[in-house]
Amino acid sequence: MDSRSQILTKIKANKPEPMDLLHIDPSIFDEGLDVVPAFTKTLEAVGGNVCPIDSMEAVHSKLKTLLPNARFTHSTLENTHEINTFSFDAIERPHDLEDLDILMVKSDLAVAENGAVWIDDSKFPIRVLPFITKHLVFVIEEKAIVPYMHQAYEKIRDFNFGVFISGPSKTADIEQALVIGAQGALSLTVLLLTADTTP
Amino acid sequence: MSHPKLANIFNEDEKKVDWHDKALWFVRHKRDLSAHKVKGWETLREFGHQIKAHTLANLDQYLIEFEKNALSNGIEVHWATNAEEHNKIVHRILKECQAKKVVKSKSMLTEECHLNPFLEERGIEVIDTDLGERIVQLAKESPSHIVLPAIHKNRHEVDDLFQQHLNTKPCNGDPQYLTQKARKHLREKFINADAAITGVNFAIAETGGFVVCTNEGNADMGAHLAPVHIACMGMEKLIPKQDHLGVFLRLLARSATGQPITTYSSHFKTPAKGLKMHIVIVDNGRSEQLGKPDFRASLHCIRCGACMNTCPIYRRSGGHSYNYTIPGPIGSILSPGKDLKKHSSLPFASTLCGSCSDVCPVKIDIHSQLYKWRQIITKEMKQPMLKRKSMKIMGSLFSNPTQFNRFAKFCRWALRNLPKSILYAKPNVWGKSRELPKGPKMSFTEWHQNRENTKRMKNNG
Repeated sequence: MDSRSQILTKIKANKPEPMDLLHIDPSIFDEGLDVVPAFTKTLEAVGGNVCPIDSMEAVHSKLKTLLPNARFTHSTLENTHEINTFSFDAIERPHDLEDLDILMVKSDLAVAENGAVWIDDSKFPIRVLPFITKHLVFVIEEKAIVPYMHQAYEKIRDFNFGVFISGPSKTADIEQALVIGAQGALSLTVLLLTADTTP
Repeated sequence: MSHPKLANIFNEDEKKVDWHDKALWFVRHKRDLSAHKVKGWETLREFGHQIKAHTLANLDQYLIEFEKNALSNGIEVHWATNAEEHNKIVHRILKECQAKKVVKSKSMLTEECHLNPFLEERGIEVIDTDLGERIVQLAKESPSHIVLPAIHKNRHEVDDLFQQHLNTKPCNGDPQYLTQKARKHLREKFINADAAITGVNFAIAETGGFVVCTNEGNADMGAHLAPVHIACMGMEKLIPKQDHLGVFLRLLARSATGQPITTYSSHFKTPAKGLKMHIVIVDNGRSEQLGKPDFRASLHCIRCGACMNTCPIYRRSGGHSYNYTIPGPIGSILSPGKDLKKHSSLPFASTLCGSCSDVCPVKIDIHSQLYKWRQIITKEMKQPMLKRKSMKIMGSLFSNPTQFNRFAKFCRWALRNLPKSILYAKPNVWGKSRELPKGPKMSFTEWHQNRENTKRMKNNG
């Protein structure tokens, strides 16, 4: 008998009586969260920055003031060619991305309770990008923020690779002292498009 | 060596023990603050418990469903009945793609299987990329905590290690500088890796995908840069549906460190174009544990470490005193299932206070399982003479109330009146490095009866 059958046979013999899968009604967790301030507060608490902007045009100028010294920058947003200092077509291996200073990505989903932003690889061409970049900038419309993870998963369906990112990379492995900037991004900024200007 | 002996070694450095104790209690406190902010936290824990119980009751079917979906996603699926088979599978994959340099993110399973030495003996370099794990790897030690692997080391020890291995300058243990240097060192390893190994936090039957959680981003740096990604999972990591992640990701980080969620929760479903992805599903004693009704709930564990942070014994004895991959209360109920004899002292490394069960995000009845293991161990293994005799005497004492009351009265008197030389004499282990209480005049029963009598008199009067 191969290992697979061995394992499955043993489980079959040892598993307990079947029990029903419970139905989860997320409304029991609802505490009427005001999602925009909750998202902002939580993201700031985990080391991220939130900058409200009133139009997509403001993205460019905001980026310049936030990180003026960035040399290699890339945006996956439409009409942002002036931000892009190089093309990914020229990249042969993901390793060549080591010098990337800023990656800017649009996200359609963020979570108020934990400041997490969801992006999947339909939004960026190479999977390592959001991790290898020094600084990560998300552009999010206010209406994209849901209160809890339960609502987030109702929206997540098709993807090949996707990730929730909540703040910049961090570690406290040396004597429990928090250090921002471990192996991933050193900083994370969310440019938040305010609701009344959202088309 | 038994837990008490190893705990004694850890306790030689009292200052360090105090720091360890406080640092972990602080993490426990952060967990409380974070959990109390969530409306319906207890319900969330109950959901976590129920989903895991349901999954275990249908584990074979869910594994088949997971395999089918993973295969159609383009992931190769392997099955390993034990640690050795797991290691051989990983080695075979690495050999097939001629991988010589491997980066690995945190995976307690690969620790359990002792994968690193297995691969190193076969000429493969394995670099642990979680900072805490890299620290203990450089020190040639094992993690002492599943979430905080280097919690037993202070900053100066890390400073020395990095000077020795990474050519850093002496920095008086500056965590910022040391982390920066580690980042640079690990970047180079990520860029040059031939393959990446990660653990699995949750595998989803419905989608054939899996989720890996880190704060540092090391799992992603490894998995997306290397041409081959091998994910190793214990078979109990399965959950039925993607929606269930909503429950578990809310529970995991809050219970572990008090964060609302880990920085990165990466959902892997298909390999990137041109790259390879493998999953190794490992049993290694889990199906055996599944067959023990009293202990199967230990397989609910999502490896958050909350039971360690809260445990008064763990905090004061350190992770290495358990001499098992998973230390602390949860390790003490998992390990006897693997090797009862070797780990027979672990279920006794507890006050049975129940704090572990209270904080467990998936409501494992850890302390009652510890108690149940004690029953089995005492029956199956010869206990020391002193323990056997004293248990017998206690047994007869507790079963006779008159005798018990008389004895208790004597003890209270003795605590008040006997000289210290007798009270703290060697055979009394309860007086070892701790102050004995002052014997009260009354027993609790007497005090309570008096109180009730006074109340009654007042009411009547």
